[in-house]
Amino acid sequence: MAAARCWRLVLRGSGLSLHTAAEAAVKAPEVTGPDVAAAPVARYPPVVASLTADSKAARQRRVERWQATVHAAKSVDEKLRILTKMQFMKYVVYPQTFALNADRWYQSFTKTVFLSGLPPPPPARPDTEPAPALDVVALRDAACDCLLQEHFFLRRKKRVPLYLEHEAITSPFLDQLVASLTGLLSARNPALANAALDCKRPVHFYWLRGEEIISHGHRKGRVDALRYQINDKPHNQIRISKQLPEFVPLDYSVPVEIPVMNCKPDKLPLFKRQYENTIFIGTKTADPHCYGHTQFHLLPDKLKRERLLKQNCADQIEVVFRANAIASLFAWTGAQAMYQGFWSEADVTRPFVSQGVITDGKYFSFFCYQLNTLALTAQADQNNPRKNICWGTQIHTWEGTLE
Amino acid sequence: MALASRSARLALARLGRLGLGSCGAPRRGAYEWGVRSTRKPEPPPPDRVYEIPGLEPITYAGKMHFMPGLARPVFPPWDPDWTPPKFRRLPPLHEHPLYKDQACYVFHQRCRLLEGVKQALWLTKTKLIEGLPEKVLSLADDPRNHIENQDECVLNVIFHARLWHSTEDIPKRETYCPVIVDSLIQLCKSQILKHPSLARRICAQNNMLSTTWNRGFREGYPYPYPHTLYLLESANLRPHRFQPDQLRAKMILFAFGNALAQARLLYGNDTKVLEQPVVVQSVGTDGRVFQFLVLQLNTTDLASDEGVKNLVWIDSDQLLYEHFWCLPVVRRKAVVEPVGPTGFQPETFRKFLALYLHGAV
Repeated sequence: MAAARCWRLVLRGSGLSLHTAAEAAVKAPEVTGPDVAAAPVARYPPVVASLTADSKAARQRRVERWQATVHAAKSVDEKLRILTKMQFMKYVVYPQTFALNADRWYQSFTKTVFLSGLPPPPPARPDTEPAPALDVVALRDAACDCLLQEHFFLRRKKRVPLYLEHEAITSPFLDQLVASLTGLLSARNPALANAALDCKRPVHFYWLRGEEIISHGHRKGRVDALRYQINDKPHNQIRISKQLPEFVPLDYSVPVEIPVMNCKPDKLPLFKRQYENTIFIGTKTADPHCYGHTQFHLLPDKLKRERLLKQNCADQIEVVFRANAIASLFAWTGAQAMYQGFWSEADVTRPFVSQGVITDGKYFSFFCYQLNTLALTAQADQNNPRKNICWGTQIHTWEGTLE
Repeated sequence: MALASRSARLALARLGRLGLGSCGAPRRGAYEWGVRSTRKPEPPPPDRVYEIPGLEPITYAGKMHFMPGLARPVFPPWDPDWTPPKFRRLPPLHEHPLYKDQACYVFHQRCRLLEGVKQALWLTKTKLIEGLPEKVLSLADDPRNHIENQDECVLNVIFHARLWHSTEDIPKRETYCPVIVDSLIQLCKSQILKHPSLARRICAQNNMLSTTWNRGFREGYPYPYPHTLYLLESANLRPHRFQPDQLRAKMILFAFGNALAQARLLYGNDTKVLEQPVVVQSVGTDGRVFQFLVLQLNTTDLASDEGVKNLVWIDSDQLLYEHFWCLPVVRRKAVVEPVGPTGFQPETFRKFLALYLHGAV
């Protein structure tokens, strides 16, 4: 009997073996002295499900073993590697999409509640002195300067044709605007002075949500998780080394319901592909500026206002902005949370907050996002009352015309 | 009509008489009698236009179709008023409206001067001084101008640019060169809190400068004075990048161009010695090696060799770091070189910061 036990130990090698529990139980009496008589010592190995059988219990045990390796990973890089190394077919979610009512779909994918307007301002603390008045005139002048520089003053090699105007003029204008506003406002916010500014750096996020029955193939009829990946490229983003304070508490319950979609995501349309699962906030895990402040997105020509009006989709203009904000900010905050070691089985213990500005050069919309939960898989979401919240404003535009 | 030429039509008619079909191939199931010869058919008689002096030819031009007895008309050559761009020929150079007798040499971003700095100095009537001017060096050494944890911040910037900013293991120079320059400028900008006049600057990327037109930007631009030019050498392959000497020459010429445009704007087009010299700075880099340059334009009188010369201070080949290991070097299971830069020199960033703060402090 003992010889058989040793042979099985050798075969299993490292990792959870059937007998570690037994050994722990055997060693326990040595540790707890006077309580030996109270705790019954197990004289046989614990009866658990098999690891290799073709049964639901065995599959559960294998899943738990994998989750235990993630919990036991020593560094964040290792954890992310274990979570993303297996590739399967997944839905590719595009933040900037022409799909109708994409914002409701994205809310259901990311368990987000959308609230109009901006979040409630933080309560004024009595010990700090009031902040200096915002020099709106100087900011306005700087913004006008950027606008005029790109549209009028700068001499370019060739006259820019209309279809290239977007990337040749609006894009550098947004760059300059972000840089100059960051410079001017760093007097009020010292964190901005030491912030890192990224231009067109990729942001990736991979998550699982919901389940489906596989319709065809050798695994037909079995339950499979739905996987999603966002590969986003914000035009500019500001990263800081200290996290932004939360807007509302972590377990704040919002009375608004999350939209539930009754059909498969393929109807959106959303397509499946299998490629590398990446989780990236714009820099790797070793960077000290690992928390996000604001993202700036530029909508492409394909989604501009005049085109949507020509296609009789006037109500989709707001939808485009909202869908972009929800998807991009969820991906960014989710990736920031994963960089801190949280994942769907180890949910966030503090909310992750970021802001976003979506524009198409003339119309601006401002969004704030608070990530309260990463537990979106079917197993983790069973008793999870928390929801992610996204606040968004109406579309604002510049006053006056460019002459 | 498929066959427009008369000779081809005649040849086809002849083939048809032989019993062959439309393409010149025989009819299906037909045997060809006749001698097979490869003799070419005779050329058709040329259409001659007969000119008898004293007689007016009566042609079929008015009838708009051929008439056997009438003469062949001669039409004047047709002059189309519009040619498609594919077939347009340029007029000879001396008939071009903008032609000038004196040749003008154009210098652009990809010009490599063969003689390097010596040629650039001769072209711009400039005297070279090694090292940066004392004013800038004093700014570099002044501890009040330093950022807190300056070395740590600069190391973070190098790590970010060389390793962290992309998902690849080893980012390429085309991506890391602009990232490192942008991050260094952002780091310098964090000094805005100490020197508020830094906020009155704006950055213009990829713009065009033409000194022959005497204007960099249009009139009324609120930031008319060029401060510093940042030239990046970010090609991935070494032969596509400029040598350090050629990069310094390019920096001299572009700084000179900016200064000349500025001088023409302020003092007009005539060549003279300037009472108030114009100063333009320039930084050229390939992501690792930096060249610093300060050019002072004293005179626009470039035709003569004597007289007041322009001055340029050059600090060349300043390494920011010797090499950057993206992956740790492991020999016999021991890490010999950890991930990070080797041979880091903080002095280079101090000079960069000094050039940035020059004029605002």
